[in-house]
Amino acid sequence: MSDSTAFDLAGCLQRVRQRDQSAARALVEHLYPLVIRIVRAHLPRQVAEEDLSQEIFMKMFTRLEQYQGAVPFPHWVSRIAVTTCIDHLRAQKRRPEFRWADLSEDEAEVLDAVLTNESDRAPDDALAARELVNKLLGQLNPADRLVLQLLDLEQKTVAEIHALTGWSSSLIKVRAFRARRKLQKLFQELQRKERT
Amino acid sequence: MNPSDRRHPWSRLVAAARSAPDERDPAAPFGFSTRVAALALSAPPRSSFSLAFERLSWRALGVACLLMLASVAANYSAITRPSDDEVTVRDPVAEVLELES
Repeated sequence: MSDSTAFDLAGCLQRVRQRDQSAARALVEHLYPLVIRIVRAHLPRQVAEEDLSQEIFMKMFTRLEQYQGAVPFPHWVSRIAVTTCIDHLRAQKRRPEFRWADLSEDEAEVLDAVLTNESDRAPDDALAARELVNKLLGQLNPADRLVLQLLDLEQKTVAEIHALTGWSSSLIKVRAFRARRKLQKLFQELQRKERT
Repeated sequence: MNPSDRRHPWSRLVAAARSAPDERDPAAPFGFSTRVAALALSAPPRSSFSLAFERLSWRALGVACLLMLASVAANYSAITRPSDDEVTVRDPVAEVLELES
């Protein structure tokens, strides 16, 4: 969104409201990087990122008349994206159980390294670590997962998460606390299983 | 768990995950914006009347809920107090049986 100063968002919205197709195209192209970043970070299993992005943009256009300008437009769109992703994650209902046997060789090595090595050196295989983090986050409920992803993985502040989601600071902190507690239990369980 | 504690497995794992490069293209795929714009604008626009009616309906629902809560609160004591003029139903058969026994 670095070109937000060059892009005339207000003028574009005005033209979209007058059903100008080229303005609608420009708006989608302008907001796509923001939306796809949220979608990729919170993509449910068996859902194509393009389908989910399209759904978010369709919701945006349908609700455009409801946008009153209380929050910046990109924040308003990001809230639609976040709630749509959470709805899809909730619809999955059953979360797959986290098991050592389901991990790839690299993921198992990374997990073993973080569980056994007490030094503060991060494990080397970043891609495997990323996959592993996604699998662990998949064990949490969708809203808690989102908070932890934004806080720990994307290193956003509570204020930034509030702007993205519309949730209060205390709710964000409670969700982060709950998610970390669940992860801690999961790590303890994994350590126990590794030793037996 | 302290999130800044680098010795904790989660903190170390997430630090490693952050260093993974994301090489996926953040730009919209070819034709995506054209398709979405065409789909979005192909639907008939909602008239300002229906939007105003919807907004008013939601407000009316809110006001109705508030009125309901206020009336329940105002009459709470009357609802919970047992009725003074409670009618006891007389059962003549039971009375006869009671007299016989």
